[in-house]
Amino acid sequence: MEMLFFLETVISGLLTGVMYSLVAIGFVLIFKASGVFNFAQGVLALFAGLTLVGLMETFGLPPWLAIIATIGVMIALAWLIELLILRHLVNQEQIILFMATLGLAYILEGFGDIIWGSDVKVLDIGLPQGASDFLLDGYGLYVERLEVVAAVIATALVIVLAIFFQKTRIGRALRAVADDHQAALSIGISLRTIWITVWSVAGIVALVAGVMWGSKSGIQFSLSLIALKALPVLILGGFTSIPGAIVGGLIIGVGEKVAEVYLGPFVGGAIENWFAYMLALVFLMFRPQGLFGEKIIERV
Amino acid sequence: MFYREVGQLKTSYQSDQAVFTIAQDRWSFLVLLIVAFGVVPFFINDYFANAVLLPFLIYALAAIGLNILTGYCGQLSLGTGAFLGVGAYAAYKMTTAFPELNFIIVLFVSGAVTAAVGMFFGLPSLRIKGFYLAVATLAAQFFIVWLFYKVPWFFNYNATGQISMPPREVFGILITGPKAQPWATYLFTLSVVLVFAVFAKNLVRCRSGRAWMAIRDMDIAAEIIGIRPLQTKLLAFGISSFYVGVAGALMFAVWLGAAEAGETFGIDQSFLVLFMIIIGGLGSIMGSFLGAGFMVLMPILLKQSMVDGLGLAAVTAKHMEFIIMGVLIVFFLIVEPHGLARLWQIVKEKLRLWPFPH
Amino acid sequence: MSYKERKIGDTLLKVEDISLSFGGVKALSHVSFDIKEHEIRAIIGPNGAGKSSMLNVINGFYHPQEGLITYKGQVRRQMRPHQAAKQGIARTFQNIALFKGMSTLDNIMTGRLLRMRRNVFWQALYFGPAVKEELEHREAVEKIIDFLEIQAIRKTPVGRLPYGLQKRVELGRALAMEPELLLLDEPMAGMNVEEKEDMCRFILDLNDEFGTTIALIEHDMGVVMDLSDRVVVLDYGQLLADGTADEVRNNQDVIDAYLGVSHGDDESLEGAA
Repeated sequence: MEMLFFLETVISGLLTGVMYSLVAIGFVLIFKASGVFNFAQGVLALFAGLTLVGLMETFGLPPWLAIIATIGVMIALAWLIELLILRHLVNQEQIILFMATLGLAYILEGFGDIIWGSDVKVLDIGLPQGASDFLLDGYGLYVERLEVVAAVIATALVIVLAIFFQKTRIGRALRAVADDHQAALSIGISLRTIWITVWSVAGIVALVAGVMWGSKSGIQFSLSLIALKALPVLILGGFTSIPGAIVGGLIIGVGEKVAEVYLGPFVGGAIENWFAYMLALVFLMFRPQGLFGEKIIERV
Repeated sequence: MFYREVGQLKTSYQSDQAVFTIAQDRWSFLVLLIVAFGVVPFFINDYFANAVLLPFLIYALAAIGLNILTGYCGQLSLGTGAFLGVGAYAAYKMTTAFPELNFIIVLFVSGAVTAAVGMFFGLPSLRIKGFYLAVATLAAQFFIVWLFYKVPWFFNYNATGQISMPPREVFGILITGPKAQPWATYLFTLSVVLVFAVFAKNLVRCRSGRAWMAIRDMDIAAEIIGIRPLQTKLLAFGISSFYVGVAGALMFAVWLGAAEAGETFGIDQSFLVLFMIIIGGLGSIMGSFLGAGFMVLMPILLKQSMVDGLGLAAVTAKHMEFIIMGVLIVFFLIVEPHGLARLWQIVKEKLRLWPFPH
Repeated sequence: MSYKERKIGDTLLKVEDISLSFGGVKALSHVSFDIKEHEIRAIIGPNGAGKSSMLNVINGFYHPQEGLITYKGQVRRQMRPHQAAKQGIARTFQNIALFKGMSTLDNIMTGRLLRMRRNVFWQALYFGPAVKEELEHREAVEKIIDFLEIQAIRKTPVGRLPYGLQKRVELGRALAMEPELLLLDEPMAGMNVEEKEDMCRFILDLNDEFGTTIALIEHDMGVVMDLSDRVVVLDYGQLLADGTADEVRNNQDVIDAYLGVSHGDDESLEGAA
């Protein structure tokens, strides 16, 4: 029984970890391609979720149509962000770009709330709910179906992304830009297109994250806070590594669940808020470049 | 035409290194001081003190603190909210444990406690840089607030989990608690902030300031001319946190009178102070004041114009405020990354020639 | 020689059998040479020969896997850069490493940091000893500014200065440390002829007037031959030759390394200048 409970805790942690990984992947994509530490990634997920619910509620669109429309909105948003913000900040220091995304987070949050209202919304696009009968009957494990679906979708998404980056022309261009901006520009890769593309992809990843999280606990302001949870994931995985984001997300997800269940009661609970950060911090002291990040040799 | 340095020759290095090198600046500053100390206290009322002047002064102090760390030393911190909290809780514990203790000493001790905590969380800065460090400071933010929330010792085991400030006097004048007069709280805060602002200005134009800026601009080169990175960064963390801690103590004791960890010292507070130094100007003491003034006044003006003027619902106005704040931040970053302080300098440059074009 | 005769003293720095590698890539292998007091020592070699790595080893930025460094009679394996600074080693960089956000004056003032003693409390008060100290060092820095003829750009942020002047400010910052050993990494790279001449003049004056020992990396052979007392030649991380400018110039290995094939003709070396 003890073992079964532990297993349930780990699985639940893994599935939460998948969510963290999703947000972290959005971060990594943008950071790799433009060196922007995008603080707005969480708000992007909130905004995508709000838009999706809004389209379904206000215009009565069926879920599949609303999702396509939301993808359209996210691409338009990426285009706007490039046009209004990024373009004017080329060659600025990273800290300036980071703070610009802080501003962007505020804008998006205010905007989403004004258009769609700030009350908690229920998101139901027909994803299965409740416990998985198969696991419950067969093994006595209680696992949410939704979370299993989320894990499957996230895995599929990662595979699609991997193919996109490895096989397509624009994927190669993206990797070139990630490697060296100047060199990529000099062989005729348009930075504009690249930026719009990564922000669009990050927007779509945010939509997936928003849908998953929203189906579980409704679309509300707290959704934007998962960005804060994704930060320690990035530290663990390294800022530029997609596999790192995935593994980091899983470690943090499991780590904080296990800690909350087994350690929480002794210190008054609610340690989920900071445990991930402490884990990341301790990790940083030993391996500053992250799990999969490259070791930096400083040159002068 | 009236603002220029013609005829004001500097004959010693001392005069060349003064804060105000131009006589007009010195006079303006003096006038400002006379107004702040001699005129404002006679016209001040409760609303003006608690909604405008106290928040402005206290946030300016916190902004100076963060500016020392982020603007001068280049270490991005997102833990300001929690460090304000450390100052506040330290002040609370001190005043309740030692009721006879002079409040000025309480302020200093609160600053010192915060400095120690800040330096502890600054330790990772030896190994990690930039955003990685920012995440480390976030760890401080969440962990510290959690502590204040979970450990009853911090709020003296009371049922609400809140802390509230008992009335205290300085030189026989009541400056904390609900009965304190607005002029008294204002003058006390003004004096404290002014003294610390002068100290900060001196620090940043001396050896410490140059060492911080060297670390900020190029840490490798700094090390090679003999600056020890860890000591220098820790000093910045310590002094910065001291300032933030004093600001936190003032915020809780003199301005708000009561506080609750998650509400008052959350991550929003960290961002607010960060915005102040971005908009005011990174690496500028003057900018810290400008940024604090801007961020304190803007919501008040927005609220007045939108809720009272246009008749919008308060919730909508709040959301509008978010958007406008975001837009302003992006706008400033694009147009003038050095903030209001730089704009102020440009205005002064223009004034030198005015009304002639060249 | 157009400058007055200098007195070359005892050995100031000796590196023995230095080997340095980065994850399998050998930057230096078994390099030994010495630098004597008051001399100008040039380190030359083709790109990637390990010249900058050598300077980085000397001032403690890189830690060699093998070998010993003897500086002022003290033997050491490695140290931190700030310790090197404390012991009187200053340097400039190939790619200028100035503090971009600060003025020329402040940049050079940072070179005096090690010599400033007043703690933060005095500094915060900016009173008495702190002011006195600040002004003393300001005076020392003004002398350097005069020496380098950069009075006009005293208050200009260095980010806005042209390349040649930035190099000069960087030299100024190193000088402010009053070093015993000054390491210059390509002090004249990317300069035009007049700027180079100015820079040469500063280097010679320094050596003459203050007796500063100088180790410099330079590609301009004309400059190297004119300035240096002795020359070290590195190639692929190995010591190729060591001797006076004339000896090195006539060394067959050196000529081979520079030209790829053995022709044995000094003219071509000078031509490379």
